[in-house]
Amino acid sequence: MLPAECSRRLVAELRDALDSCAERQRQLEQSLRVSRRLLRVWEPAETPAPEPTPGPEINEEAPSSAFTACPPSPQDLKELELLTQALEKAVRVRKGLSKAGEGVKVPSLKSGSASTATKASAPPSTSRCTGSRAPETKPPRGVHHPWVPAKDLPGRRLLLVGDGAHMGQGAGANKTEAGLRDQQIVPQAASQVPEAFTLKDKGALLRLPEAFRKAASRNARLWAQLSSMQTGDSADAAAATATAKTQFLQKMQTAAGLPGSMLSTAEVGRLQKACSVLRLRMREELTADPKDWMQEYRSLLTLEGLQALAGQCLHRLQELRSAVVEQPQGLWPEGPPRAALPCGGGADPVWSPQLLLYSSTQELQTLAALRLRVAMLDQQVHLEKVLMAELLPLLREQEPLGRPWLALCRAAHCLLCEGGQHFLTVLQDEPADRLSPP
Amino acid sequence: MPGAPLIGGAGGVSQPARRLGGQAQGSGTCAATGRGDPALARIGRAEAVARSPGEASGSSMGRRRRRRPDPADAARALPEAIAALSRTLPAAPSPETFRRAKFDRPEAAPALWRLLFRVLSPLPADGALASLALEAQARWVKSALRSQGYPRRALVQLPDEGSQGARELLLALAWLLARGPLPERLLTQSHVRLGDEMPVCECEALASPGLPAPGVEAEGCVDIRHVQWLTGKLRLRWRNLMAGQQEQCALLGKIHSYTRGCHSDRSLGHLSVTETELLRDPEGGRQLLQLLEKENARLEAALEWRRRELVFWQWMDTVLDACSPEDSPPTFLPRIPEPEAGVAGLLARELQALQEELREAAEARRAAWQAAVGGHGPEWRAARRALQAAVAQDLAALQRSWEQDQGRARPHGPHRLVRTEARVPGGPGLRAAEATEALRAREACLEAVLCQLQGQCRQELARLAGARPGLTWVPPPTR
Repeated sequence: MLPAECSRRLVAELRDALDSCAERQRQLEQSLRVSRRLLRVWEPAETPAPEPTPGPEINEEAPSSAFTACPPSPQDLKELELLTQALEKAVRVRKGLSKAGEGVKVPSLKSGSASTATKASAPPSTSRCTGSRAPETKPPRGVHHPWVPAKDLPGRRLLLVGDGAHMGQGAGANKTEAGLRDQQIVPQAASQVPEAFTLKDKGALLRLPEAFRKAASRNARLWAQLSSMQTGDSADAAAATATAKTQFLQKMQTAAGLPGSMLSTAEVGRLQKACSVLRLRMREELTADPKDWMQEYRSLLTLEGLQALAGQCLHRLQELRSAVVEQPQGLWPEGPPRAALPCGGGADPVWSPQLLLYSSTQELQTLAALRLRVAMLDQQVHLEKVLMAELLPLLREQEPLGRPWLALCRAAHCLLCEGGQHFLTVLQDEPADRLSPP
Repeated sequence: MPGAPLIGGAGGVSQPARRLGGQAQGSGTCAATGRGDPALARIGRAEAVARSPGEASGSSMGRRRRRRPDPADAARALPEAIAALSRTLPAAPSPETFRRAKFDRPEAAPALWRLLFRVLSPLPADGALASLALEAQARWVKSALRSQGYPRRALVQLPDEGSQGARELLLALAWLLARGPLPERLLTQSHVRLGDEMPVCECEALASPGLPAPGVEAEGCVDIRHVQWLTGKLRLRWRNLMAGQQEQCALLGKIHSYTRGCHSDRSLGHLSVTETELLRDPEGGRQLLQLLEKENARLEAALEWRRRELVFWQWMDTVLDACSPEDSPPTFLPRIPEPEAGVAGLLARELQALQEELREAAEARRAAWQAAVGGHGPEWRAARRALQAAVAQDLAALQRSWEQDQGRARPHGPHRLVRTEARVPGGPGLRAAEATEALRAREACLEAVLCQLQGQCRQELARLAGARPGLTWVPPPTR
């Protein structure tokens, strides 16, 4: 058995590692769920509708229903089918066939148009859930807005036009009125089964809603502005601001009651980086093969220099640690981050769009697998250090008194040297009690 | 005084702007309603009187163009700056709270504690964190500020229950704002991701500390076999994770190729999962749109803050002056030694081991050199000086590489995945092949480190076991 403190620390570290793995798994599973669902057949109730129902309308008719909160009733589905056909028929009407109804205008394919008919032809879908509750006079609202039949596509292919011009706007009166018109068209529609929507077949027809596109492009523009403000500070006002900030910080520091140097996160990170850089360099020097005396001398000087630098870093670290006057208590006992940031410090404070171009699934999979492998290795390195720090002292201190120590030694060897995967065999050669290989 | 005191800052970013009423100029999405807030106008007037007329007009670039210094403008500048700040920070209290904080009013303190907590926590606000009691949040804020090097002792001495020290908290917030681009960083943290993002390096994932387990059981002694079992469990989890990741990539590839040609942005070409999902689920889509619009509002507020912030710093000077000066650190608070296995402890041990290794190697070489030297001519001295200079330069460059934050040589951060044809030269963007290269280098480096550590352990254990006579170690068959 391991001593209590040691046990606690080891278990805590491993639990940490397990938890971070579990968190990744959770996020991955969520993404998998979403992606799998997208690749299946989209439920008729879920057929793409870039324009969600305006708020006030929902409130007055279906205060508690969400789009997917309740399954559509068979009546709604039937109405959906019928309405879809009505729209197709309307297309044919527009094409010059004899008018069947009250001259319902068919929306153009351009997403910018906000014609009445567009509003008319696709009332919001929420109330399909409330079919049972809605008053009789309510028009059948089975189809989502953008199921607009294409002029050019023959037959039953439907083009989804993201006419988000109505997003967020009420279109109450129009909709009700148009809905009534729909009601009249509906009985005249042919009864055909609409095709199920799959991304594979019809993915290329999707279009994003207008409101969303506007918001997204405004978002990109604002970020670009913020970014250029960050970097392009040459105006007087910006310089004055920078001076004011520096002065304020200085004033804070001089009016301070605490020592300046602190065991800060950044400091520890820097020293960790120093350690790994020094180690790498040492490795290079030790493995290089000096060809002449000049190279030998240079190598010697370098090693001595590296030793001095390591000493400096250690000294600095010890200085900082002795200056800590208050142990950070609370939720985050490990204040500074665990690993030295190999990418040179923090990320860019202002977001800017960064693209990663890949050309095949294979390429993407390789990249993703490698990324996870790097994360796993980093975790392994950290755990190795922790295990070394905990187990080696134990083995050194304990009197090698027979089986318990041997067992510990063997287990430690397995954990420390073989990544916990392989065991070695220990043979004890004393004639008195011969231990068989475990 | 209009209405009830605005404490807590709950209810979203749009509230504070509304309080300013008619005085807000071009402040984004919140329309000005009603008259101005008299309390805030009072701040403005008070500050304007304190400054000379010449200064008062210099508060924003736009106003400088006007020749006559307009005290009314100056009076509005500060409240507007504070309002912009309040709109851009997440969970920020109303501008009125800031004013109260200057005068150290107790009702302002809780809101500022919460703001500091929100601003300093590495993870975006989630349920578990937000529901912490004020006292716990206050304690955490103190330790976080200390670990960043906050210089004032007064903060540390504030009571945890959170009702005092509003002015000190205001100073702390200003300190954070002065040190770096805080609003921008927070916005980046909570940025609505529209694409399928994949990080190309692992540094951010590693840097954020995980939340400690809520029910930290007091563990007794465990057997080392339990440790082995946990290690095995960890290995299994990684394997599952990798398998799941492969599947996810395959699905992404399909979705991207099926939606090719749909995106209005040509450089992207196809939809992401988020975008396709919003088409499938309009309700979710609407929520996404709301988030996007909220972010746009915060971005505009951030831009406005940047334009107006000078007057805020002038005001903060007065706040600092209002504080009584701190005494020099006389009483040395008792030092609680950091546990040896803490990060700094580990690092100290590493550095010690490294120093020891270097010492041994250098001494050996020095001895060999002394033995072999001799028989070098006068050109030796000149050569020696040159070598010494060269090595000194080398090492200085090495030192710089960790002292300064260098520009990222490696690809970094989350990138939006875009599927393109292989032959197309393509526009701006990181190629997957390059990212893979960088990761392979990192992988090799880490494998080397791990190998080296394991070797160290093997040596140490062999030494320990060797001290005991009569033992034979049969290592496992080499793979």
